[in-house]
Amino acid sequence: MAGFANAIYSTFIRKNTVLLTTAFAGAFAFELAFDITSNKVWDSWNQGRQWKDIKHRYMVKEEEDDE
Amino acid sequence: MLGRSILRASNRAIARQSLGKSTRASSTAAGAEAASSPFYLTLTAALATAAAAGSTAWYYHLYGQEAFAMTPAEEGLHATQYPWVHERFNKTFDHAALRRGFQVYREVCASCHSLTRVPWRSMVGTMHTVDEMKAFAEEHEYDTEPNNEGNIEKRPGKLSDYIPAPYPNEEAARAANGGALPPDLSLITKGRHGGCNYIFSLLTGYPDEPPAGAAVAEGMNFNPYFPGTGIAMARVLFDGVVEYEDGTPATTSQMAKDVVEFLNWSAEPEMDERKKMGVKSVALLTGLFAISVWVKRYKWAPLKTRKIVYSPPIGPRR
Amino acid sequence: MTGPVIPIASESSGSNFNFRLHPPSILTSLSPQLAAQFPPWSIALTMSLSSASSTLLRTVARQQLPTSRAAVTSCQQRRGVADAKSSFESPFASANERGSTLKIPNFSKYKSNNSPRSNQVFSYFMAGSLGLATAVGAKATVQDFLVNMSASADVLAQAKVEISLGAIPEGKNVIIKWRGKPVFIRHRTQGEIDEAREAKWEGLRDPQPDEDRVQRPEWLVMLGVCTHLGCVPIGEAGDYGGWFCPCHGSHYDISGRIRRGPAPLNLEVPAYSFPEDETLVIG
Repeated sequence: MAGFANAIYSTFIRKNTVLLTTAFAGAFAFELAFDITSNKVWDSWNQGRQWKDIKHRYMVKEEEDDE
Repeated sequence: MLGRSILRASNRAIARQSLGKSTRASSTAAGAEAASSPFYLTLTAALATAAAAGSTAWYYHLYGQEAFAMTPAEEGLHATQYPWVHERFNKTFDHAALRRGFQVYREVCASCHSLTRVPWRSMVGTMHTVDEMKAFAEEHEYDTEPNNEGNIEKRPGKLSDYIPAPYPNEEAARAANGGALPPDLSLITKGRHGGCNYIFSLLTGYPDEPPAGAAVAEGMNFNPYFPGTGIAMARVLFDGVVEYEDGTPATTSQMAKDVVEFLNWSAEPEMDERKKMGVKSVALLTGLFAISVWVKRYKWAPLKTRKIVYSPPIGPRR
Repeated sequence: MTGPVIPIASESSGSNFNFRLHPPSILTSLSPQLAAQFPPWSIALTMSLSSASSTLLRTVARQQLPTSRAAVTSCQQRRGVADAKSSFESPFASANERGSTLKIPNFSKYKSNNSPRSNQVFSYFMAGSLGLATAVGAKATVQDFLVNMSASADVLAQAKVEISLGAIPEGKNVIIKWRGKPVFIRHRTQGEIDEAREAKWEGLRDPQPDEDRVQRPEWLVMLGVCTHLGCVPIGEAGDYGGWFCPCHGSHYDISGRIRRGPAPLNLEVPAYSFPEDETLVIG
């Protein structure tokens, strides 16, 4: 455990610039992950209510008309 | 309370008067007399309090109460609170219902009510496909910009056009509806007290015949939810008046529910995005708050746990 | 480590202040992680005012405490601080006396079991997470404000214009309005295409081959705004069979390139596409 903590410390924390860079890079990664997760949760809350859930009914008809 | 204190004060005054002469010589007795107030002071204070409280009450009675111009009957029946799913904080509109509601608007409401703030394009990707909306738009004619000769021609509608009004102007609308102006429905759920509940109650609240004793003017209809109960609009939603393409039974309440949800959408088309953004913000800010509480404790711990001890001086030895 | 007695004495003034570093008697609301982070030293101020006859030795002579002093220490004893097992034995005699405030209380109860390094990593992780979440929130806020400045949906909806080309015969100009500006659409004849292609474009003021200016050779689409001062050129005019700007006499050829006159650049070509054979979409 202490070895792990030491590794983390020397990799990310020892230099302030590295810590800052990590925080900002992590912000981008976190935002991406947060958006994906929250969108998934939102879509599961609204299963079948949104346009993307029902549009296949009408889009399929379109393609048949075109053919 | 007030009366009792007056009573007590006067009792004390009488007692003092009877005892006064024997204890007057002592200096402590003079101090006691200065501490207790004379009767007339107590009386004045009591009267002033009564006058202040009384005038406040009188002016509140005159001006402080909420004014109602109408009797409760004239105000209209209070709309029932319905459990709208789309009004919950984590629910979007039911877009299938929006599609049905737009159909109800097109086939029923649009003959009198305008929806001027809604462009055709806004239905694309919310309830209709591009081609369906283009077809709807092209059913209507719009004025072109002046051509080289300065003439204004007619062209079929485009997606960027707004839904046309059934009447060219307000006067025409009034003339066609017996002097009553059918309101624009773009923002109607925001513009009416009660919102969705009111519109739904109004649409479904027409009785078969007005109750006994109700005065209904010529050309008017009775609706208990409408302020004044006399409404120019007749009942329009009857079972099966539209035929839904998705096979939903078109009962009166189903149509009313769908069109109310559609009108709520036209008033708040941003609602889905807004709620999603709100949920995300609350989630993120909760985490941020928790961490900042931790950081606050981290920063303050050495200060809060500090102790300063004062050792009193040791006096010189005699 | 206990605070040494720092006597600041002044014989002439006759007063004697003793400042000493002092451990706190009580440690409240300190989380286990923090205990390792913050060695709970704190400062206590012991001040004694004494008479002119007092000397530095007064502090040594503490053994003879007056009763008032005893009362204070007994107050501390009641809190159980002085009685707790000290974590440090002071070399000073006065510190070892019963009830001395120089005794360091035992903090082992509050101490973290983890290594100091992992506590440190945890603290920095929390601080870094605060920065991270703040950055995400700040970015989203700024982005939302900037999105406000971009074109609104109704403007974007009118940003594209669809024209059906079937109605434009060969050798004819059509001017339509797009975003408030005129757009020239020319259905060029084969002869005009040949003329535009054969012209020596390398030596022109704004050298550009005709192939770069059209997507389909028979359809020339340009913004009808003179690149000089923004007049609208006249079609089928000028010395080169193209457009002529009446304001300052710029001549454009049948490909819309500047040939003579003050204009510095060729007529601008907007973004356009042909989604179907007979349909042109500008924008």
